[in-house]
Amino acid sequence: MRPPRSETRPMSAPQVAVVRPHPAAPPTLASASPQVTGFRSLDRAAQIALVLALVTGLITHAYHLFQYPLYSTDEGIYVERAWAVIREDRLSPQTYVYDHAPGGWLLIALWEFLLPGNFESFGNPVAGGRILALLLHLASVFFLFQIARKFSGGGLIAPVVATFLFNFSPLAIYYQRMILLDNIMVFWVLLSIYLLIRGRHGLFTGLWSGLAFGVGVITKENAIFFAPTIFYLLIRTTRQDSNRRFALTFWLFASAVPVVGYILLATLKGELLPAQLSLSLTRPPQGHVSLLYELWFQVHRNEGSLFAPGGFLHVLWLPKDPYILGIGTVAMVACLVIGWRERKQNPALLVAGTLAFEIAFYLGRGSVILDFYVLPLIPTYALCIGLVADRAARRLPASTARVAVPIACALAAALLIAPSGGYVLKHGQQHQLQLADQYYLPLTYLQLDQIAWIRQHIPRTDKIITDDDIWVALHDKQPYPYAQSHWNAVSDPRVRSIFGGGNSQDINYIALSNGMKHAMILNNSNGQENWILTALNSATEVWHASRGSVTLAIYQVHP
Amino acid sequence: MTRDIVYGALVVFSILVTIQSAHTLYLTLYIWARPQSEDIAPEQFRPPRISFTVMVPARHEEAVIQATIGRVCNANYPQRLIQVLVVCSADDKGTIAKVKEKISMLRKTGLENVSVVTFEDGPVNKPHGLNVGLLHAVNDVVTIFDAEDDVHLDIFNVVNTVMQNEQVRVVQAGVQLMNFDSTWYSALNVLEYFFWFKSRLHYHARTGAIPLGGNTVFFDRELITRIGGWDEHNLTEDADIGLRLSAAGERIRVVYDDRYVTKEETPPTVNAFIRQRTRWSQGFMQTLKKGTWKNLPTRKQRWLAFYTLAFPRGQAVLGIYVVISLLTMFSLKTPEQVALITFLPVLMILAFFLIYVIGLQEFTRAHGLQASPGSVLRLALGWLPYQLMLSYAALRAVARESRGATDWEKTQHVGAHREHDPGALLEASDETAA
Repeated sequence: MRPPRSETRPMSAPQVAVVRPHPAAPPTLASASPQVTGFRSLDRAAQIALVLALVTGLITHAYHLFQYPLYSTDEGIYVERAWAVIREDRLSPQTYVYDHAPGGWLLIALWEFLLPGNFESFGNPVAGGRILALLLHLASVFFLFQIARKFSGGGLIAPVVATFLFNFSPLAIYYQRMILLDNIMVFWVLLSIYLLIRGRHGLFTGLWSGLAFGVGVITKENAIFFAPTIFYLLIRTTRQDSNRRFALTFWLFASAVPVVGYILLATLKGELLPAQLSLSLTRPPQGHVSLLYELWFQVHRNEGSLFAPGGFLHVLWLPKDPYILGIGTVAMVACLVIGWRERKQNPALLVAGTLAFEIAFYLGRGSVILDFYVLPLIPTYALCIGLVADRAARRLPASTARVAVPIACALAAALLIAPSGGYVLKHGQQHQLQLADQYYLPLTYLQLDQIAWIRQHIPRTDKIITDDDIWVALHDKQPYPYAQSHWNAVSDPRVRSIFGGGNSQDINYIALSNGMKHAMILNNSNGQENWILTALNSATEVWHASRGSVTLAIYQVHP
Repeated sequence: MTRDIVYGALVVFSILVTIQSAHTLYLTLYIWARPQSEDIAPEQFRPPRISFTVMVPARHEEAVIQATIGRVCNANYPQRLIQVLVVCSADDKGTIAKVKEKISMLRKTGLENVSVVTFEDGPVNKPHGLNVGLLHAVNDVVTIFDAEDDVHLDIFNVVNTVMQNEQVRVVQAGVQLMNFDSTWYSALNVLEYFFWFKSRLHYHARTGAIPLGGNTVFFDRELITRIGGWDEHNLTEDADIGLRLSAAGERIRVVYDDRYVTKEETPPTVNAFIRQRTRWSQGFMQTLKKGTWKNLPTRKQRWLAFYTLAFPRGQAVLGIYVVISLLTMFSLKTPEQVALITFLPVLMILAFFLIYVIGLQEFTRAHGLQASPGSVLRLALGWLPYQLMLSYAALRAVARESRGATDWEKTQHVGAHREHDPGALLEASDETAA
């Protein structure tokens, strides 16, 4: 059985760059860099800068959070799995196919469980998840600020620039607002790095850092690409440490524990090895799902190039923010080159550069990617840009530096205001100046209206094909037990049996968006979606709403 | 319903064992989480001022006693400030003869500070010997060395300095088993000592509830006399006196410095090991029953003392649990969540094993020894049998205690630790030849 998910599991590798304060006498990461122990240890200016970073992060991500962007399929998938954890005591309401390790939605489940109203606390179930994403973003801002500060030897330029981009980039805001595994993974990875660079190394620093990293891996497997760089950072930061053996061993042990737990889970369920021990990609083994087969399948997926004209880079990422991608790539190269030269004195730039490079390489290598896979690239690029800016500022003569600060502020303001950047403002359809989409365009009301119409007009016993974004809304309160996503209806035999094993006549309604229709067509290479598309072709539209390029509709299928 | 109860019990027990293991792991590594200065000896020694009475309780120690006496008499400390008392039961003719022979040799070199003290009353055990020795002690500080101990030549300088610098009246110095590659279990035994003396005892001392070790412990003579000496009916009189001193509010300093440890050997056979461990476990049970720990002033101190003294009983239960676990592994089908939780203690075992591997490296490096891959392999293969052996000894202690058997099962000493110290071996050989 193939995973019905819209997402695959990629592996990405980030890089950590560390910038030194002065090229003539670079501080080492362990010695000359500042102690990074917490808010109170910061001087006044750093405290103000950090508070500003957190406040701007809060504003840019919280404002309009429930309206934009549209609740996505993947957000819906993770929230519905969290729902299954709480309500059904299992990892997925459908057959769990090991398409992802469950760390991310276990955290979401914990969060939803703690909320007084569980999934209904913020109206829509996905909205509750977005609040968690917001909190994780703020924590990530803190970690990124401290990492950049440490890597730059205590200056404020690097952390301010890095967190500015991390907070304001339209590309960042668009994806960071969503409750996605990648966002959760970024939080864990930044935490893992932060634990290594904060203050004096304690005996259990390696343990906690490794554990955070391990949880990151079982949140989103591509975190594994960060491992070499983080471990290198650990080696460098413990070079003079009498507890070095413990630190290294604890890190390896603790990072392995969550992964071993995941493998053990599959083993206990009898789903580690594929049925008939077959790894055939052309004839998938039948009988039961398998962790190893799924990994094998994903490793061998290769679908198109990121750089192709219709790829995400050109269609989605560059239009949202060409600055962070363009300047970030240059900064990454600079970090790698300079970092390699000075690696013996200070590995900071090399660490930052390799973190970014590994992710960039992962994205560019030509495997299957989804649009939000860009997420881990954003903090690493922001870090590289911040560190290179810091290095450039330090090379300026004192007289020039006095002028440079106001100029840099002016540039930042220009970036925010310039409509072409879309950071805060943009041109509307009539070329009028308006707030950028992330602060202006409401979209999710369409989904709320769709759910409301279903509740009002469709009997709860009807069978509905829909998308995952509204799945929990249709199952948690006033449930529609026969409402299922098209992904699962075509790939999971247990779900398909609800619809007569894939019979168009057994569908009563189809609730969809133009995005879902597009996905069904893309997912129909083997004709597995035909029975739904057939039903759709003969159905009557009973509800319709649209805003901009987004269209939602509900179709009644005639027997 | 029954099945649910079994699952619930497994989950609860596994979580409790995991918490306990994590706590033990923390204690095992406690000193590495503290500033390094806390455990090392002073780099500069004060001029000798404090006088010491060394008590060496010995029974059937003909093979090792002369070398031990020779070692003490060679200490880098004025012999006029050292009194050596070898305490023997009067019926131990062999040891007494060896001691007298050694005294005679020393007198020829001008050393008059060694004497043998005998007793004819009972009980014939170490604490009684110590109390007898205490009656003959004349110096400021009394200390205990076991008959097989290889004492560092500067140990008196260390304690003289610490006692003066820090104004403490009780010092526990490091004791270290050395022969890590003698038997399949010796590395594990060595590392137990290593972590106990180097790390865990510091936590006990800081908390103020410390079961002291049996030797290389230094007491102000007036203090030890005032509290009435050692409990002659306790199989771990050392742990008992430590808790009594703690209850009296006495500050106790632990000094474990790899350079100055007293070197000892692991029991030479499995039977000897089990007898020794049985005695310790039973002694802890006796001390627990005696209730001195209840007199400790704070709840934290009482809890730590209770936890430590009750551990042998827990170890006995754990031994049974291991067997049950092995059986249920093949016979009980549980839900995945339950199985995952019951796996947690296994992770802790793995963590402990890794710590022991690092500990082996730290230990061998500190003492100029070499741990081969075979040593690590023995560590791995011997891990579970060793734990079972500890549990068996704990069970045996429970059985002995319940039937009132409190006789002293003496540990045999063969001097295996001296093979690691060519100097000590040479010295022992020379003296034997002499």
